[in-house]
Amino acid sequence: MMDVGRHPNIKLLTYSEVEEVSGYVGNFNVKVRKKARYVDENECNACAECFKVCPVAVPDEFQQGFSSRKAIYMQLPQAVPSSYIIDMEACLGNNPIACGKCLEVCDKKCIDYDMQDEMIDLKVGAIIVATGMDVYDPTELDEYGYRSFENVITSMEFERLICAGGPAQGHFIRPTDEKTPKTIGFIQCVGSRSEKRGNRYCSNICCMNTIKDTVLLNDHYPGIEMKVFYMDIRAFGKAFEDLFRRSKEAGVKYIRGLPGEVREDPKTRDLIVTVENTTTGEVEQHELDMLVLSIGVLPRQDGSGIQKLLTLSRTADGFFMESHPKLKPVDAPTKGVFLAGCAEFPKDVKDSVTQASAAAARAEIILNADKIKVEAITSMVDKEMCTACEICYRACPYKCIEVDRENKIPAQIIEAACAGCGTCGAECPFGAVTMRHFTDDQIIAQIEAILDEDPMEKTVVFACNWCSYQGADFAGISRLQYPPNQRIIRTMCSGRVDEDFVLYAFKLGAPIVLVSGCHFADCHYIDANRWTQKRVEKLWDKLEKMGVRPERLQLEWISAAEGQKFAKVMRELEEMRKKVTKEEVEFTKNALKDLKFKREKRKAKLQADKAKAEKVAV
Amino acid sequence: MAEEATFKCLRCGHEFKMPFDPKGPLVERACPKCQSNSVRRMKEEQKK
Ligand code: SF4
Ligand code: SF4
Ligand code: SF4
Ligand SMILES: [Zn+2]
Repeated sequence: MMDVGRHPNIKLLTYSEVEEVSGYVGNFNVKVRKKARYVDENECNACAECFKVCPVAVPDEFQQGFSSRKAIYMQLPQAVPSSYIIDMEACLGNNPIACGKCLEVCDKKCIDYDMQDEMIDLKVGAIIVATGMDVYDPTELDEYGYRSFENVITSMEFERLICAGGPAQGHFIRPTDEKTPKTIGFIQCVGSRSEKRGNRYCSNICCMNTIKDTVLLNDHYPGIEMKVFYMDIRAFGKAFEDLFRRSKEAGVKYIRGLPGEVREDPKTRDLIVTVENTTTGEVEQHELDMLVLSIGVLPRQDGSGIQKLLTLSRTADGFFMESHPKLKPVDAPTKGVFLAGCAEFPKDVKDSVTQASAAAARAEIILNADKIKVEAITSMVDKEMCTACEICYRACPYKCIEVDRENKIPAQIIEAACAGCGTCGAECPFGAVTMRHFTDDQIIAQIEAILDEDPMEKTVVFACNWCSYQGADFAGISRLQYPPNQRIIRTMCSGRVDEDFVLYAFKLGAPIVLVSGCHFADCHYIDANRWTQKRVEKLWDKLEKMGVRPERLQLEWISAAEGQKFAKVMRELEEMRKKVTKEEVEFTKNALKDLKFKREKRKAKLQADKAKAEKVAV
Repeated sequence: MAEEATFKCLRCGHEFKMPFDPKGPLVERACPKCQSNSVRRMKEEQKK
């Protein structure tokens, strides 16, 4: 960290918050609020004279509340920059009656009670999000008695207790009597891998962290008796199994089963743990001096701020989603933005460093390029057709459209930032937007070709490039059987499927139309498929109003791995197709005979306006 | 407390109730009977 602070090409802004981000890949404008520290960080040499005289003591967050800090403090001994900071909420203030002691003793005159937040404007080419994680609070797990028994601590608290720079200078002591414990237990998966409480996912780091802790304790205090209660131990990484073996060889007992109850002996403050050992099938009781809860990792609880600023997307677990899990594992969906560390998913130091190095290298490519190549699949706006209604801007998951409704300035696509989902095209009520390489004409030609002969025999399937189409591919290479009546039209995103396309397919006699895309959590265009769902819902209403069975328009989310689901859906659609009668198809065709595409309507309107204007001029 | 709404599966016809917040974020829907995502929220006039 010190190296980072000193590096000539790195500007380190600590105690700062990003408030605004605009622009696009290669040209981001970032507004940062550098919060007032009330101590001049360039002058302060961390002599700690102020710290000595400050009369206010508050719990030290970094030491997990095991010790206290002053109102003027350094968050951790290794903090960069190595400078003090005043916690204004705790400070008594520079009123001579109230206090002002730090100001008096500071020889270098670094203290400034009137310091203001500073706004800093940065121009950057790429952004790496490494906002870290939060940890699970085990209070809700009553059975473990975290809030009731002082000798039950979390793994984070354990880290502070065993650390040489910690509140006990590295002497591992139990909170109630400050004696070194003779027996200690660890409970794994606290807040992880649970359907009911905490999180469903595995937090990835806790098994190895506990194993490391047992080895560390054994080195410091040979003879200490240690028991680990677990569901299964996940020692999957390089040299992990060796460390696990070392721990077992050191005498640590691994008991398969998570305790159902923890009680305290009020006299000795020892803990009695009841657990079903699932290896032996016996219910056991273990008496321990101390218990460590191996708590899970949570996504940052304040992550929605940065998510909005950078139009990021999050998985159902709440971690930031990468652009593609295999092909772009450190890229965020927004071009020029990269992810590193636990912001993306829980990971250990080694994986975090690996990912951060990869993210830095990816960012470097952008910074070293005079020009960058973007995908040719972007949207285009016909300025004449555009009414500047701003609907496309609202729909665009990347907010990469500039349009000004008030001043009637037509939409313009920031092509460097456009991901090519086509949602703007489908949402534009005037047909003013189309996609390069997936133009309306191309898609319409495909619909016509499919339904040219025997339309009653065919089901029109719109499949997104990333998931559903790949699901179809997977069904194919897995040799899964499904009826051959489906005809697939690939779009980049299901968000591209314009209502005109669906209605046109019905107009040409399609018995069944399916719109399919990625599951919500996997959308490759942040949330473009939410627009698909809304559009399909509107279409169901529209069809019903026309007297057409809404069932004939189907919606399905199929992932690339769901070949089975794809085949199942195809079989079900085939059953539905067979039940569609010739009469109802004829009725639909008739109901839609006057269907005009949005762009045709708009063009006709523009022409009529023009003719009117010419008439007036004459 | 989230409000409930009636939904209909347009694949198997199953009707069911599910929490629904008109102002909340859209959630992925699946029919509890056949797992299809062709799940339509039935507005008052559409319920038979
Ligand atoms: S002025 Fe505030 S920070 Fe300084 S010594 Fe007094 S209480 Fe502590
Ligand atoms: S939705 Fe269409 S008409 Fe409206 S601003 Fe966008 S391009 Fe223009
Ligand atoms: S294609 Fe998608 S990303 Fe590009 S401008 Fe349209 S909505 Fe935005
Ligand atoms: Zn169903």
